[in-house]
Amino acid sequence: MSRRLAPVTHPVTFELDGESIVAQAGEPVAAAFVAAGRSTLSRSIKYHRPRGPFCFSGGCAHCLVRIDGVPNQYACQVPVKPGMRVERQNAFPDASIDVLRATDFVFSKWFNHHEFLAGVPVVEKVMLEVARKLAGLGLLPEKAAPAREPALVEHVGVAIVGAGAAGLSAARALADRGVDFTLFEKEPRCGGRLLTGLDEGAPAVALPGRGDVRTGAVVVGLFADDGPPGLAVIRNERLHLVFFQRLLLANGGQPTLLTFPNNDLPGVYASRAVSRLIRLHRVLPGARIAVVGEPDECRALARLVTDAGGEAVAVGASPVRAHGLRRVDALTVSQQGRVEKIACDAVALCAPVSPSFELARAAGARVSWNGRSRLFTVEADASGRATPTTWVAGELRGPMSAAASAEGGLVAGQALADDVARGARP
Amino acid sequence: MSKSLLCPCEDVTTSEIEHAIAKGSRDLESVKRFTGFGTGMCQGKQCLTAVARFLEEKGPLAPAQVMPFTPRPPLFPTELSHWASASFDPAVAPAGGVPDSLGLTEHALKPEGAVPARAKIVVIGGGIMGLALAWNLAERGETDVVVLERGYLCAGASGRNGGGVRMQWGTPSLIALARRSIDLMKRFARDLGINVWLRQGGYLFLAKSDAVVAKLERSAALHNKHGVPTQILTPDGARDVVPELTMAGVKAAAWNPLDGVIFPWPFLWGYAQAAQKRGVRVETFTRVVGFEQSQGRVQKVVTDRGDIACETVVLAAGAWSPSIAALAGVELPNEPHRHEICSSEPLKPFLGPLVSVLDSGLYFSQSMRGEIVGGMGDPKEPAGMNLGSTRRFLTRYAQALTEQLPQVGRIKILRQWSGPYDVTPDNSPILGRTPGLPNLLQMNGFVGHGFMMAPAVAERMAAWMATGESDELFERFTLARFAEGRLEREDMIIG
Repeated sequence: MSRRLAPVTHPVTFELDGESIVAQAGEPVAAAFVAAGRSTLSRSIKYHRPRGPFCFSGGCAHCLVRIDGVPNQYACQVPVKPGMRVERQNAFPDASIDVLRATDFVFSKWFNHHEFLAGVPVVEKVMLEVARKLAGLGLLPEKAAPAREPALVEHVGVAIVGAGAAGLSAARALADRGVDFTLFEKEPRCGGRLLTGLDEGAPAVALPGRGDVRTGAVVVGLFADDGPPGLAVIRNERLHLVFFQRLLLANGGQPTLLTFPNNDLPGVYASRAVSRLIRLHRVLPGARIAVVGEPDECRALARLVTDAGGEAVAVGASPVRAHGLRRVDALTVSQQGRVEKIACDAVALCAPVSPSFELARAAGARVSWNGRSRLFTVEADASGRATPTTWVAGELRGPMSAAASAEGGLVAGQALADDVARGARP
Repeated sequence: MSKSLLCPCEDVTTSEIEHAIAKGSRDLESVKRFTGFGTGMCQGKQCLTAVARFLEEKGPLAPAQVMPFTPRPPLFPTELSHWASASFDPAVAPAGGVPDSLGLTEHALKPEGAVPARAKIVVIGGGIMGLALAWNLAERGETDVVVLERGYLCAGASGRNGGGVRMQWGTPSLIALARRSIDLMKRFARDLGINVWLRQGGYLFLAKSDAVVAKLERSAALHNKHGVPTQILTPDGARDVVPELTMAGVKAAAWNPLDGVIFPWPFLWGYAQAAQKRGVRVETFTRVVGFEQSQGRVQKVVTDRGDIACETVVLAAGAWSPSIAALAGVELPNEPHRHEICSSEPLKPFLGPLVSVLDSGLYFSQSMRGEIVGGMGDPKEPAGMNLGSTRRFLTRYAQALTEQLPQVGRIKILRQWSGPYDVTPDNSPILGRTPGLPNLLQMNGFVGHGFMMAPAVAERMAAWMATGESDELFERFTLARFAEGRLEREDMIIG
């Protein structure tokens, strides 16, 4: 069972399908959900498989819920508020006993929607009706959106995306050189994996001495249709259009999905979700956690789990199959040629993150498949320059430790400062 | 049950990806379209790497051929109300945009080996026009056909449209073609063995000016004369059809319950697979780079994978047709115009028809997957091949959509993309022989509605080509009409 590692000092009560749940003020809905020992937070779109939080970084769809009448909110990204009404979606009659799960058993391997009943008279019409009724996730809100403030248009010299090890280090390099910048961090606080990850001996979180650092700022796009390129950023419920001259991207990556049967069961987490829960939210997601995948990362996470009072099992093994009807209760693993089934109540998948290359690509950088890491990485020169006006650093360039990310951020920041010093307007 | 999920958002399993490979998909763009992986809430953040690894392991892709599918803005699902809060300058032409990858993927995925050295008929363009024609020719026994496609199937406008199919047109020819197409779409699964999810939820056109009201009334009278049950509705009558709509500024509406929406991609796979079964060759990732001509005829089509000697060439490359015709020294009057489009998060069904405000070019419908799919033409869009995506579009679309349907304000846009309209001077297609090059046949210029016309047009074109019997379609819409000043104006164009 999951448990809290620290007492709730600032309790907030919210409602999940009519049931009251006590949370620590400021923590995301999904963290409170895990701390409360619940497992099914959503039902998947087609097979109605039970799902629980997986990535804790807004990069999957395992934790989508309806919050105060608005569908498909990431429970891992929305902080709890007193009286908040959270509802599970896509289930009948409710998420705990969803009869539509039958589809998962009827189509036991998969559903061939292209050819199923294709061209069968009458029956295909019924199928169309049924398919339409079952489609979709979430309900149309009853109300219109609140009036939004007009989007704020800004012009900056240097924009940085991401305040993890690489972004902070780049920011400090720019600050040291007297270069102004505006840094956008999606999370409520700077630090990235320095706060939530595993690296021992990682550089400390130190904010740069100057520059405009904005947390809770979600960069949702990079567009170049209104003259100079600009970022679209949502912050404090308001759209900002931030036009820049130079861009430094240090927005890291998203957990990589490992493929094995039942890899989507509630209780299966990305390793960084587990370390985040323990370090940031002070929640241990299981008493006996199978820590599988990349061996070095497994060892580091196992230490964190053990130090928090949990038991780490199957450390460094490869996952073969997860077991459990509504949540994971065992994992078959393979280790040194031996295959065995190990009881556990949570699984942590350790693997290098997949670089979030979308913004870099929109900025004109090249993205290529790295045959060794088997990830899509952003191409750049030794200084991190990916286009004449774009620098990239950190895990966008491939798997690396927090220390290596910080070093890469420093080099990219200095290179960008050199470019500013040369005075060339891009 | 035990399933290995590769795309948890859309519940795509390893078995489904294996089926896609067995059906001929090999690159990530094709597998994405065939299985739906990467089209859910995360837009590929969770699944792209896992599927790329799977394709590499299973063999269809060598490491150098592993390329990501084009990431579509926005990076995270973002509410329409936010996009609507920005502004844009209606006096300025849109430009640029997030670049599309089309063109980048060709080299690595170009098949090894040459194209066939000869074929009776070469069809240029593996969109719905070319593939539907190939299948119809094969049905008539003509299987010595090669279809050339520069990208993957669905890479062009056939894979980028909103899937609307309607009978509400402004000329008898297009009304008849659309009616026939919808009939063929109804039996598509029976004929070709793949579901296309035709849902006849109707088309509801809204008019906000007297001029547009008059246009709707004129065309409705024509529809009724040709057996299409279009009705003119008052604003209240239109709200009975879609209760969530506001009627701000709406003066009247036109409603035909027999129009509908389809899912575009399976049409291409269905036609391609059935044509290939009969012996037609479909060559993807293959570019036409020139023509060999003598004695007033095209003798060979020159591709980047060798030449094909042939008797007849059909140019069915949509908005790419003018640039290909130019390789044969033929000047076509059509021009590509970008049209942008986007898709929201999937919602439980609430919207029956496709709704369009004819004054502004706004249109939207709800797909079978539950997404609100819609777009809006930009009167300032310059001619030219540009498949970029702009923030300006999101703002224009979000403002117009939330005005008509305020409840979607907090609904999030998942992805945006664009496709080219193939615009002719009179908004009517170019069909039939080319003056001076009689064995080059035109099958293009459909101004954004080629998809819905294709099944019927291809049926008649194949009959015309196979039998040689005259058909007024290939007299009325010839390329020669522009030089002869014999235009065929169509005014029921959205955007």
